[in-house]
Amino acid sequence: MRHLSLIILALALAHAQPALAANELGIDGEQPSQFEARAVDVLCELTGDCPQDCGAGTRQMGLLTDDGVLILVAKSSTLFAGGVLDLVAWCNRRVEVDGLLIDAEVTRFYMVQRLREPGTEKWTRARAFSHSWARANKQKNANRWFRKDPAIRALIEEFGPVGIPGAKIPVE
Amino acid sequence: MGKRADRLLPAAVLAAVLTLGLAWAGPQSAQATTRVTVTGEVIDTWCRVTAIMFAEGSAHYQCAVWCAIGGIPVSIMDEDENVYVILRVGEDDVSAANPTIARIQAHQVTVEGDLIERDGVNYLLVNRIADDQGIVNVTHEDVGIQPFGK
Repeated sequence: MRHLSLIILALALAHAQPALAANELGIDGEQPSQFEARAVDVLCELTGDCPQDCGAGTRQMGLLTDDGVLILVAKSSTLFAGGVLDLVAWCNRRVEVDGLLIDAEVTRFYMVQRLREPGTEKWTRARAFSHSWARANKQKNANRWFRKDPAIRALIEEFGPVGIPGAKIPVE
Repeated sequence: MGKRADRLLPAAVLAAVLTLGLAWAGPQSAQATTRVTVTGEVIDTWCRVTAIMFAEGSAHYQCAVWCAIGGIPVSIMDEDENVYVILRVGEDDVSAANPTIARIQAHQVTVEGDLIERDGVNYLLVNRIADDQGIVNVTHEDVGIQPFGK
């Protein structure tokens, strides 16, 4: 079954343009991939439960290729952030993406690094989370956002940095 | 226009309307699901699967919270290393940056839910968290806090 899906995925990306700009990370199974697809709400695609706005950033997003292959978008170019806010702006529309397809032994997903309107020249870096976070938290930028985020700080305050309240933390 | 064309025209228009309608509609039906019970560690999908850094248990808890709040998919990895991407917990369909899901990062859980397999990915609609043992994979004593420390 896995071999079949790999073949399908390979066919789906067969028309992809050669990726010249994706930033490679040296991850096992990574493949620079630039292609066009439709941005979709994954839960909608799988279950038919479809809010008009793809969940407005609250649901995982994917890329549906012309051959019907659904690719989960798990990561963006922002440190420790996913690609939901980058893709939701293209909800149910075609978009051209550039990034890394990660075909690991246990699962597969995509890291989106750039997006653009098909047929146009100008790319936008996949950093929507950074921009959104900075606006929401009234910061100039999202540098080290993960150290400053109120929801994260509250969780770390409650459970400690290793998730076990009162655990002894080894000296670095 | 002849009689034959008169008869065919409405059918052609109907076919065109149906074709356009199907092209613009969303998914027409839900995919088949399988009822499953899954036991495993709640993981930060990106870091654990890519092995881009040490991403197991308590050592990676802090980073797993960062990634969950950052909207990276949260999954459960069972002892056979099957990965189940969580798309829903009960009636809560927030699967990106959900603080409730972030609270159980790195926990050992047993969940009951519906599995949907699509293009090499296991998607899980959790109906119920049957058991939550908290963090049992204590790794920070050996490797510290990964990455970046406290």
